[in-house]
Amino acid sequence: MSEKAPEDSKPQVDAKPEPGDQINIKVRDAEGNEVQFKIKKTTQLKKLMDAYCLRMGTAKGAYRFLFDGHRINEEDTPESLDMQELDCVDAMVSQLGG
Amino acid sequence: MSGIARGRLVEERKQWRLDHPVGFYARPEKLSGQTNLMKWECGIPGKDNTLWAGGLYKLVLEFNDDYPSRPPKCRFTPPLFHPNVYPSGTVCLSIIDADKAWRPSITVKQILLGIQDLLDNPNTKDPANGEAYDLFMKSRVSYNNRVKQVAAENAP
Repeated sequence: MSEKAPEDSKPQVDAKPEPGDQINIKVRDAEGNEVQFKIKKTTQLKKLMDAYCLRMGTAKGAYRFLFDGHRINEEDTPESLDMQELDCVDAMVSQLGG
Repeated sequence: MSGIARGRLVEERKQWRLDHPVGFYARPEKLSGQTNLMKWECGIPGKDNTLWAGGLYKLVLEFNDDYPSRPPKCRFTPPLFHPNVYPSGTVCLSIIDADKAWRPSITVKQILLGIQDLLDNPNTKDPANGEAYDLFMKSRVSYNNRVKQVAAENAP
């Protein structure tokens, strides 16, 4: 719009994140349907879990997410859980015993 | 010779992380940050529409250096009430018996799926647990009630 910035002073915001920064995580439901998410290793998994519920058209908290048999907490990150590329997370329907 | 066992277990774990039956878990034991590949903690969910549904049954797989020539020892912790599970918790099943149907090509996934199937299909010809066997043979109603109770106790 206004004056053009010179070529050599281009801001660095477009810089792509390091390839090792992000990983793909698979989320699978009880029927075996699979959705894959790309997420930064340091991003809280709350984001992934909310995105999954949104995608499934269910309320947040409709699923319990399990990684290696442990329930994933909102503040966990791929890094804190030592997740690797294409690791598989189970989405189980939340249930309450009566 | 433990190189073979470890190499195989590393590969088993890799495959498991990429793909495993839903609701199951199988992870090498971690002791103060150290991973022990020779002992895995596993969980088997009861099949839907069976008496065992709703429960998640924990077991330990112990591998020896002669794995996969010999099968791992599979033990429910705590011991599970079932005609084919010894009072110690050890599972009696042909595919994990070195003298019966064990083959080195059987994977951890196959073992766990096999045990899941055994839950609802006990083999009455080779019982390992007298109490569960007797109840199963003599009073199916009491057996069924007992299993439902076990499932409720093992709800995750």
